[in-house]
Amino acid sequence: MTLAERLADYMPAIASGMLTTAWLSMLAIVLGFFAALGLYVLRTRSGRIGAGAVKMYVSFFRGTPLLVQLLMLFYLPAAFGVDIQSELAAIAALGLNSAAFQSEILRAGFAAIPHAQIEAARVFGLNPRQILWHIQVPQVLRITLPSLTSETIDIIKGSAVISVLAIADLMRVGKQLVAVSHRPLEVYLSIALAYLLLTTLIAMLASAVVHRSREEKHA
Amino acid sequence: MLPTSIPMISLRGVSKSYGANRVLFDFDLDVERGEVVSLIGPSGSGKTTALRCMNFLEEYDAGEIRIRGALLGYRVDHDGRRKRESERSIAEVRAPVAMVFQQFNLWPHMRVIDNVTAPLILAKGLPQASARTRGLEALDRVGMAHKADAYPAQLSGGQQQRIGIARALAVAPEVMLLDEPTSALDPELVDEVLEVIQSLARDGMTMVMVTHEMSFAAKVSSRVVFMEAGRIVESGPPQQLFTAPATDRLRSFLRTWFERSHAAATPVGAIHSLPSPV
Amino acid sequence: MNFELIIDILPAFGHAALVTLQASILAIVIGAAAGFMLNALAQIYPTTFGIFYRGFVWLIRGTPFLAQLFVIYFGLPQFGITLDAMQATVIGLGIYGAAYFAEIFRAAWQSIPNGQIEAGRAFGLGRRQILRHIEAPQAIRLAVPMLTNQAILILKESSVASIITVPELTMTAGTIVAETFSYAEPYLLLGLIYWLLALAFAGLGHGSEHWLGRRQTH
Repeated sequence: MTLAERLADYMPAIASGMLTTAWLSMLAIVLGFFAALGLYVLRTRSGRIGAGAVKMYVSFFRGTPLLVQLLMLFYLPAAFGVDIQSELAAIAALGLNSAAFQSEILRAGFAAIPHAQIEAARVFGLNPRQILWHIQVPQVLRITLPSLTSETIDIIKGSAVISVLAIADLMRVGKQLVAVSHRPLEVYLSIALAYLLLTTLIAMLASAVVHRSREEKHA
Repeated sequence: MLPTSIPMISLRGVSKSYGANRVLFDFDLDVERGEVVSLIGPSGSGKTTALRCMNFLEEYDAGEIRIRGALLGYRVDHDGRRKRESERSIAEVRAPVAMVFQQFNLWPHMRVIDNVTAPLILAKGLPQASARTRGLEALDRVGMAHKADAYPAQLSGGQQQRIGIARALAVAPEVMLLDEPTSALDPELVDEVLEVIQSLARDGMTMVMVTHEMSFAAKVSSRVVFMEAGRIVESGPPQQLFTAPATDRLRSFLRTWFERSHAAATPVGAIHSLPSPV
Repeated sequence: MNFELIIDILPAFGHAALVTLQASILAIVIGAAAGFMLNALAQIYPTTFGIFYRGFVWLIRGTPFLAQLFVIYFGLPQFGITLDAMQATVIGLGIYGAAYFAEIFRAAWQSIPNGQIEAGRAFGLGRRQILRHIEAPQAIRLAVPMLTNQAILILKESSVASIITVPELTMTAGTIVAETFSYAEPYLLLGLIYWLLALAFAGLGHGSEHWLGRRQTH
């Protein structure tokens, strides 16, 4: 078989791996986003204890490797007799990890909104929940989109380590293909390029969104 | 004024400090329905603070502020001690009051129409359709209905402030607070906003306005209150205050203003409508 | 929580930490040096080197380190280049770091306002003097926080080497679990040690910033 034929053979498996990787990553990002919002609310509204707890959480999840977090989430419950499914541990690890990074990103976004806008919302009778969802979050998303994009790309790349839990993501597909073809160089290069495709697509998508929203809003 | 009607806004013995800095001393003021009260005075006189206390944007340390008789921000429990009210009851008491801000404070990510209808939909729970109708009416009232679908950043300062006024109008307030509504505007945009405010006054809206536009204050107010260093120095109809100031401090304040506006580019009508206060 | 066990396994973790630090620090030094040169080449020869630089950065920063490591460790032998796990890790981390370090140096260099260079020229300073006295000090000061961050990222990424059985921290934790049949203590300790190492790196970085900042005020 020629190289081209072999590559064509790899395609279905790689496509399936890409799907799994993309799906798990997106889920983790979305969960991480809402968790990060929760962390922000906790940090700003629960006094010193809440703020301190959030800071420790963020410090831990940013200061330890994702692989270690994954292993901890998978094996520690076993110490207490609870069996965690691999996919659950993977999503939990990716999500909790992303929440920590997103919380720092969003924090900067919230700070960038002039307090006067919050004041105006308050005197017009909006309650804190409404102010968060209607005034703050839409603007925070717009402001932090570039950083959130970087974070999404980091999660897609970071998800490579979930392969140690035998989840059928891109890396595991690579391992399986190597076992069959005995050509690790071209297989792993293809895997790397598949990741590159995913991350590049995300970057281009975000760039397009930023351009469109910039056109819309200004004279 | 009917002695039996409750004032729209009533301040009694209101005091406020920022740390060691006392900004309001034992401040008394009543605003009756239909009045247009202008607060004037040098910077640091406490006029903006007094205004921001009226809708509890600032907390006050002592005294009572009542909106249509209801105590704002605090209640006195059976021991006679002050206790801060919950956000919900504060919102209820301040509901008849709407505010126009010096920096407009529009929400930049929303279209003009959404800026105006947001308080109606979110705070008052109005359905989209009726909120939109009221919003468009308010925008029409200030002459901005044609820009309903634009974004604030696409508009001039004067247009943005008019939208700020429309947002305040849309909630059908009983009284409007205006915090230096034209101070952040380029001079050529000031008049369009003043015209809108004047027409609201003519229609009988109760207003409390902090302003540096003396001639406008003279034209539109039913009462002018001159403040300095956290206290009311003089108060009365604009004719009386501007043509026959009773205190030296008001006299020197008006002279400074007169000289400054005389030396600067002449605002049309400003000097001519006001006799020299010497 | 079995504290005796924790004491027992500490020495093993100590050795493993040394392996982790050895790999990380080597990679940081190699990566920083390589990154610096890559950026310098790209600035000096933008037309010939620029495309290669941008392609390299795009490839390395757009793919997981694990995939890069597998290419080096499992793929290169096909070309006759066989590296042991540790060598593959250090080289892989070095290349990985080089791409990020290059971008950090690029950002630091670009953020120096042109006006300062013009002022230098107007006052008769030569190109090399401007580089040495005006650009370099400021670029370094700007870069330090980003460099510290990247060092921590490399430290964390070194854990991936456990997958190709380098006896660093993460792999050692797994070995200890297999030997002692307890999950909690080894993995808790693992997390704690990485956390402390990261905090130590961050502390060193802040210290450097202060030290550099002090020197610049006179």
